[in-house]
Amino acid sequence: MVNENLVKDVVKEPYKYGFVTDIETEKIEKGLNEDIIKLISQKKEEPRFLLDFRLKAFKKWQKMKEPDWAALGYKKIDYQDIIYYSAPKQKEKISSLDEVDPKLLETFDKLGIPLTEQKKLTNVAVDAVFDSVSIATTFREELAEHGVIFCSISEAVKNHADLIEKYLGTVVPASDNYFAALNSAVFSDGSFVYIPKGVTCPMDLSSYFRINSGDSGQFERTLIIAEESSSVSYLEGCTAPMFDTNTLHAAVVELIALDDASIKYSTVQNWYAGDEEGIGGIFNFVTKRGKCLGKRSKISWSQVETGSAITWKYPSCLLLGEESVGEFYSVALTNNLQQADTGTKMIHIGPKTKSTIVSKGISAGNSKNSYRGLVKMGTKAAGSRNYSQCDSMLIGDQASANTFPYIKSQQPNSEIEHEASTCRISEDQLFYLQSRGIEFEEAVSMMVSGFCRDVFNQLPMEFAAEADKLLALKLEGSVG
Amino acid sequence: MEIIEKIKTNKSIDNQTEIQKICLDKLQSSPLPNPRSEQWRLSNKSKLSNFLDYSINENNSKFDISYPKNYQSNIRLIIGDNCQIKLIEKNYSIQQLSEDELQKYIKEQITFFNQNENWSDLLNLSLSGKNNILGLKINGSEIPPIEIFSHASSNYLNAKTLIIFLEKNCNVELLQINLGEDNSSLSQSTFFCLEENSSLNHGVVSYGVNKSNLLNSLNVIQQKNSEYNLGSLHFKFNYARFEIRIKQSEGNAKTNIKGMQITKKNEQISTYTKIDFDGPNGFLDQINKSLADDKSHAIFEGSIIVPKIAQKTDASQLSRNLLLSNLAQIDTKPQLEIIADDVKCKHGATISQLNEEELFYMRTRGITLTEASKLQLSSYFQEIISFIPVSKDRWDLLDKLLNQN
Repeated sequence: MVNENLVKDVVKEPYKYGFVTDIETEKIEKGLNEDIIKLISQKKEEPRFLLDFRLKAFKKWQKMKEPDWAALGYKKIDYQDIIYYSAPKQKEKISSLDEVDPKLLETFDKLGIPLTEQKKLTNVAVDAVFDSVSIATTFREELAEHGVIFCSISEAVKNHADLIEKYLGTVVPASDNYFAALNSAVFSDGSFVYIPKGVTCPMDLSSYFRINSGDSGQFERTLIIAEESSSVSYLEGCTAPMFDTNTLHAAVVELIALDDASIKYSTVQNWYAGDEEGIGGIFNFVTKRGKCLGKRSKISWSQVETGSAITWKYPSCLLLGEESVGEFYSVALTNNLQQADTGTKMIHIGPKTKSTIVSKGISAGNSKNSYRGLVKMGTKAAGSRNYSQCDSMLIGDQASANTFPYIKSQQPNSEIEHEASTCRISEDQLFYLQSRGIEFEEAVSMMVSGFCRDVFNQLPMEFAAEADKLLALKLEGSVG
Repeated sequence: MEIIEKIKTNKSIDNQTEIQKICLDKLQSSPLPNPRSEQWRLSNKSKLSNFLDYSINENNSKFDISYPKNYQSNIRLIIGDNCQIKLIEKNYSIQQLSEDELQKYIKEQITFFNQNENWSDLLNLSLSGKNNILGLKINGSEIPPIEIFSHASSNYLNAKTLIIFLEKNCNVELLQINLGEDNSSLSQSTFFCLEENSSLNHGVVSYGVNKSNLLNSLNVIQQKNSEYNLGSLHFKFNYARFEIRIKQSEGNAKTNIKGMQITKKNEQISTYTKIDFDGPNGFLDQINKSLADDKSHAIFEGSIIVPKIAQKTDASQLSRNLLLSNLAQIDTKPQLEIIADDVKCKHGATISQLNEEELFYMRTRGITLTEASKLQLSSYFQEIISFIPVSKDRWDLLDKLLNQN
């Protein structure tokens, strides 16, 4: 629970992650073509199969059209005007955190991310990604004792090529959609997690993404594999500096859960959202998908989306294994001129699969917030169930909230329930709180926090507190 | 393109009415709806082209489908029968719209048309000749119930258009019946304009025989303090689309919709609704039920649009679906688009099968499985049927649904 003073403090704060770190970076020239892809691959010393994967994806991407079905309006992205690889210049190899550029460490410290292993109390292993490359991954040895592999994807390509070759692109194929194809062609780094059979990951894993440069896009790729009877909780956070240009972020996340495995993936997305006039901000086009391959496997997505000028994101579950479970808990908050089109897809393929969707959308200012979800019961999904609930809250009369649930069933022996509602902050409740001496903005943020409680309960502790703070901060000045 | 050629060969330019010319012109640029658009995405393409395959028939064959006898108190009209209506009684009057009035109104409507959304209307208006447009102006109170028939004859594509103005303070009960014969296509477009304080209880019952097709489009404009209640039922069509567009042009109006579609064999029946609230204090209560059996496909897409001006709107939409076979499928998409903040909007959707516990209970009481299923279905149907106005008992709707295949 966040105490009231804290909320009050943060309400006054501007976007505090908007600083730029002055650090020497190595960038390649703008533009996208086969040579650039070959250059990225070469810089990362990748094996042949990966280069082929990239080139194939690029060919597909060239033939694809940018999707226009989402309820989003933004100026056309010039894909040739983006730098596809940017890395902080540093010594050849980093063997320990001491060798990391202190400026970088300082950056992550400013962001509140404890990279230094002394801060063991937090018991969270972190993989920090700065622009295109992974800077450091902490707690490696301790994780290795349990057989857990947690490293950047570039390292995984070198050290665990077999796993990468086996699983990369199996959940989100290169040709899946326009942005996934683009990511497959140019992805630069990201995290790789492998939890061996029977292991419950001893600590939460976390990755932290930071865009620093204004003209380079970020294209990270995350791959998490949970072997039989294993479990892991993974947290993801993102920030970016304030620029008045739009930066493209197109990530792909793939999760694979085998028999009895469970993966919990939590995101607090706080990319720079642009200023009040809608200038600048991140274009966030993300493809996240989990595959419940094994029997009784479980994938749970929870997300708090507060940043980005444009959010296009549908974390999904493919429920293949018998009795597998998919969950999606989301809070999406938009303010000023932000636009979000987000939701989930629950594809029930195997029998007795279950899914739950809880989505809370809050729109304030002139923003646009849409829930778009698909629930599909395939012909073999006998005995499956889905429950969805999407609630929207409107603050101010300029904001818009849309709900587009697509529901399709081909299996009579299954049940789908969907409900959605829209409301505003109740004046009676506001009046009551104010009559008890609680200030207006504080009352609003309490009520918003209550509205999102179902989702915050699903977040890991430290994230839940951060999420609460974030919402209060984002709503500053939008009420009354 | 073929369809346009067909219309043109059927009727030379000289014989076309002005409306037909305008609509044909509009269709020319994109003769078929965009199959990737949201409204047509799930529509079965081969069934739609089959719909258009029949030759166009402007002259009406004899109306010989069996239907219950008329009560004397009812007014019964058949579109295309060339009837001249001029009923002026003490309390009310029902008069035919003059050609000028008709043209003016339709032309005004066409300007708002969107190629994909109103494709069915464009097709209808480019097909239906003078004889097949019925325009009425209704005024007064204590008006006897009205039944209006449209039908398509075997091996033909027929188009019928109905336009009704309900003048201020007028209450009407109206049952619209669309019948399809063997191998026929019917394009029916209906336009209602409800003036202030008027109310309309509207029933739409559409059913075919064997390989009948239907494109049924309904456009309603509600002025303030008007009330529009719709009970609709569609079944036994190889391919049917029911498009409902309702606009509460000044808000402060009430709309209740209860619709049902039943698909069996290889049929596809879909319902698309779009409700626009263009003013404050609007009210909507909508329920749509589907039942899909055998290899059939039932579709429901409903959208509720609440712009900034429509404060204090209270809208709810529910889609309830029964899926009874492994090979059948149901798609449903209730959607909300809201900008006003002081509104109450909700929607819900469920897809399931018959309740097993209830079935079990009834069987323990000695009721056979078939009977028990029928009992459950009849309660499922009854909610909708009881909402359909005008002599529903005589039409034996429940019996038709339960006992015929």
